[in-house]
Amino acid sequence: MTNVIDNVSHEPVAGRAPLILGAPDFHAITEAVAQPAERATPLAWWLFFLPSLGMLGILGLAVAWLVWEGIGIWGLNQPVGWAFDITNFVFWIGIGHAGTLISAVLFLFRQKWRTSINRAAEAMTIFAVMCALLFPGIHIGRPWVAYWMAPLPNQMGTWPGFRSPLLWDFFAVSTYGTVSALFWYVGLIPDLATLRDRATTRMRRYTYGLFALGWRGSARNWQHYETAYLILAGLATPLVLSVHSIVSMDFAVAQLPGWHTTIFPPYFVAGAIYSGFAMVVTLMVITRKALGLEHILTRFHFDRMARIMLVTGSIVGYAYAMEFFIAWFSQNPYEQFTFVNRAFGPYWWAYWTMITCNVLSPQVFWCKRARTSLAIHFVVSIFVNIGMWFERFVIIVTSLHRDFLPSSWGMFYPTTWDILLLIGSFGLFFTMFCLFVRFLPVVAAAEVKSVLPAADPHHATGQRATPAMAGRLAPEGAH
Amino acid sequence: MRFVPQLFPEGEHFGLLAEYDSPGALVRACEHVRDAGYRKWDAHSPFPIHGIETAMGLGRSRLPYVALIFGLGGALGGMALQIWANAIAYPMVISGKPMFNWQPYVPITFECGVLLASLATVFGMFAFNKLPMLFHPLFGVEHFAKATDDGFFISVEAWDPKFDARATGELLSSTGARRVHLVRRREDAAP
Amino acid sequence: MSHDRAVAVDPAQHRGKAFGRLTGVGGALAVAGVGASVALAGGTPQFYFSWLVAYLFFLSIALGGLFFVLVLAVSRAGWGVSLRRVVENVMATLPVFAVLFVPIWLGRHELYAWARPEEVAKSALLRGKAPFLNEDFWFVRAILYFVAWSALATFFSTQSQKQDETGDERISARMRGIAPVGIILFALSTTFCSIDWMMSLEPEWYSTMYGVYFFSGAVIAIFSFVILLVQFAYTQGALRGVVTTEHLHDVGKLLFGFTIFWAYIAFSQYFLIWYGNIPEETVYYMKRQVGSWQSVGMLLAYGHFLLPFFFLMPRAAKRSSALLVIAAVWQLFMHFLDLHWAIMPVLHPESARPGFVDLAAFSAVGGVFLAAIGWVSSRRALVPLGDPRLPEALSFENV
Repeated sequence: MTNVIDNVSHEPVAGRAPLILGAPDFHAITEAVAQPAERATPLAWWLFFLPSLGMLGILGLAVAWLVWEGIGIWGLNQPVGWAFDITNFVFWIGIGHAGTLISAVLFLFRQKWRTSINRAAEAMTIFAVMCALLFPGIHIGRPWVAYWMAPLPNQMGTWPGFRSPLLWDFFAVSTYGTVSALFWYVGLIPDLATLRDRATTRMRRYTYGLFALGWRGSARNWQHYETAYLILAGLATPLVLSVHSIVSMDFAVAQLPGWHTTIFPPYFVAGAIYSGFAMVVTLMVITRKALGLEHILTRFHFDRMARIMLVTGSIVGYAYAMEFFIAWFSQNPYEQFTFVNRAFGPYWWAYWTMITCNVLSPQVFWCKRARTSLAIHFVVSIFVNIGMWFERFVIIVTSLHRDFLPSSWGMFYPTTWDILLLIGSFGLFFTMFCLFVRFLPVVAAAEVKSVLPAADPHHATGQRATPAMAGRLAPEGAH
Repeated sequence: MRFVPQLFPEGEHFGLLAEYDSPGALVRACEHVRDAGYRKWDAHSPFPIHGIETAMGLGRSRLPYVALIFGLGGALGGMALQIWANAIAYPMVISGKPMFNWQPYVPITFECGVLLASLATVFGMFAFNKLPMLFHPLFGVEHFAKATDDGFFISVEAWDPKFDARATGELLSSTGARRVHLVRRREDAAP
Repeated sequence: MSHDRAVAVDPAQHRGKAFGRLTGVGGALAVAGVGASVALAGGTPQFYFSWLVAYLFFLSIALGGLFFVLVLAVSRAGWGVSLRRVVENVMATLPVFAVLFVPIWLGRHELYAWARPEEVAKSALLRGKAPFLNEDFWFVRAILYFVAWSALATFFSTQSQKQDETGDERISARMRGIAPVGIILFALSTTFCSIDWMMSLEPEWYSTMYGVYFFSGAVIAIFSFVILLVQFAYTQGALRGVVTTEHLHDVGKLLFGFTIFWAYIAFSQYFLIWYGNIPEETVYYMKRQVGSWQSVGMLLAYGHFLLPFFFLMPRAAKRSSALLVIAAVWQLFMHFLDLHWAIMPVLHPESARPGFVDLAAFSAVGGVFLAAIGWVSSRRALVPLGDPRLPEALSFENV
């Protein structure tokens, strides 16, 4: 893009910094978004896709061996009956939350910068939910009877126990997956129509055309469409709060010190959003470069994501501190021991990894130069991903391994299969993401167009922004 | 006897298609078409335009009511399912809790409400918008492909009582249309 | 989204003098309230408990105001500029709460079991908690909260007022720079003040969620109170055309959203304790299921959440002044009841005993609070005239 101007070095007090650089017209946005899905497969894509596919193969192997041999191939045993499987589940479901936050919560708060990242973040949500659902599915020991979790009449005349948090999980996560997929698909329809109308082969025209449902940008359709989008955002916002709250209840309804604490629901939600944003940043730093979307996914967007990570990271830090304080305040010896054991017991390294990655590493984002540096973003986001995985590991394993009865204390050590499954789940996630990047519009073109200055019907010059206009730092808001 | 509602006007022509330069020009043109009293017409743009519903004289979407009804239905249904399954059909004491208690049923009640409301929202939106509609006469117009790229259009359908190919065409031209095109009912069968 | 229909603000129309009447009314209420409560129950536990409920009610409004101002600054929200001054004036009363704290300090032995040496001697738990729950440290913490709140309130209030005259953009930048630090201070002070002044009424009991619970009530309180203040300004001929239906619609949305948030927090806290069923935790809710406290709890569940949830759901309710005022008055009443329900069972474990002392204390603290708002408001414009983003706020429209 020519005429690229900087939108982070100076943020105007009145008016707003431009979200999209280079003042492209509507057609340029279409080109920038549609081309990556239309051009011949670049070599670089294979460089990402093939290793991901290899990791997916590892997943297939690990799952096959698990189904054949049984849960005994994992390292979990009394007293640590939950370990990597549930850690991975909570980790992945948490990753998904950023997508919903961006598409729903930021929409309700009228944060227009979300338009550049919401599509990819929502796709990431769906893939993360897929990875998450894998773990309870295989952890039940006999995956072929997973349908028992659904309230279906079965041969034994029994029903699922609706008082069990694990069943709430099943409902919450499957609702979340369904609603996320609906939200994502509704958002995709206008862009699929764009790809259909640009298609050069009959195959592409029919495929994209089928999924575009005959969308023709009708204003009467847009009206219902926007209403539907608003309702979905309104529904997805409490939904996303509920999902990780319910996940937290898997632990918090128990009586185990370290699990049973009232702050768990909002604390888990904040942690989920935090980890999800870290994953969005990791993926987007690479994607924008690979697809040449630097003018749509600008450093301004990363600045905003850094702020959200700082906020959610601080909430997580607040919860860590609150748990520690109340553990002391309670004067309950079991509570107190659990937290001292976390920090100074045999898993001290996991605890301090968590604190370093989650609480300390994002502090660099107080500095504006860090917020706008993609290199720092990439490094910090990886740290946070690691830290948030360890957070779940710390909560789950350290609380279980030493509970009320010292005679049954023990340790958990992961086996090779535990680790291969974790790696394999990343394979599933990255494979799906590679396919998404290859075949679908990575940016919500219709939404990005609607935040261009020229999209405002009161815009003076209509569609074609003049170069003089583009150079000024006063797009929307100034007219 | 016709069981499927008629989607397009009978006869050789579907209607007129006018193209405009910008969102602003489209909104102003819509105001003219609205004031001229047309009813079976539409505007097309690659993204939703702020204020166009007023310019076209559209009411508010009734979709929220659909979502609310299904949401409440889902929540009540979810609650009923749980009480029936765990207190009546297959009563089971878990952690000493009473058979009838609302507290542990709240999460799934909420999830069922959200699930049904979301499904109703999306499929209700499809129903209101008559989607999927894989064939439409406008798809036969070559430059209409711009409607999903950077084009802004008004289409007036031939079965509007006020439609008159000549007078309507003049109205559209006078609103600043870049070009006005008479659309045949079937120019090309392809979507 | 902004349009060409920029509105010119006539400063003469939006003088804070419109709120001047509050000073007189509030002063009268305060004098009457203090007189009545001292005459009815001066020095008795009832007096101190009633005062504590009233104090925390109005304090939560002012703290909500501080939070609202900080969030508006940190998020660069354009829409909120036109009603920010009204919120600032509520926030600016925070230093007054240091004075209103005196009866609580005087009544610490009546209020708090941990401050009674004979109780501490009986309880190993209280002896264990003594490093935190002791009179000196408790008092030092209170001073720290008042210093933090007063400093933040004064800073944001005076900076904003200065901008009225200079229109200096750097002031906006400066407020924005301080706000994140302010939010951290706010979060810590609000959490610990709720632990110190409310949770420690039952010193054996604990909940990590408690601070968030108090916060969620405070946010409901400020949004409700802003709706009422704006309506009051309308009756005085001010703020019309500056704070419009669009802005009130947004406040209504926030009220709606945080009503759900309160329910989420309240339910989570109750539910986890109910499900875990550990005696040392359930004691809190067991106490509140005795006698008419049970009904008060149910009233909160329906009245503080379900009813306003359905009431505020339609767009029309959030765009109608009359309906918003009904919702705001109702939610403030429910918020008061929430605090009453959290505090009073300690004094009246057998059953709810609302009385004239509660009313008198409410009038006393509320009178001072209103008078302070009136006094603060009358010394400045009711609109941040110099804010560079005021035009954006004025032309704001909900989609």
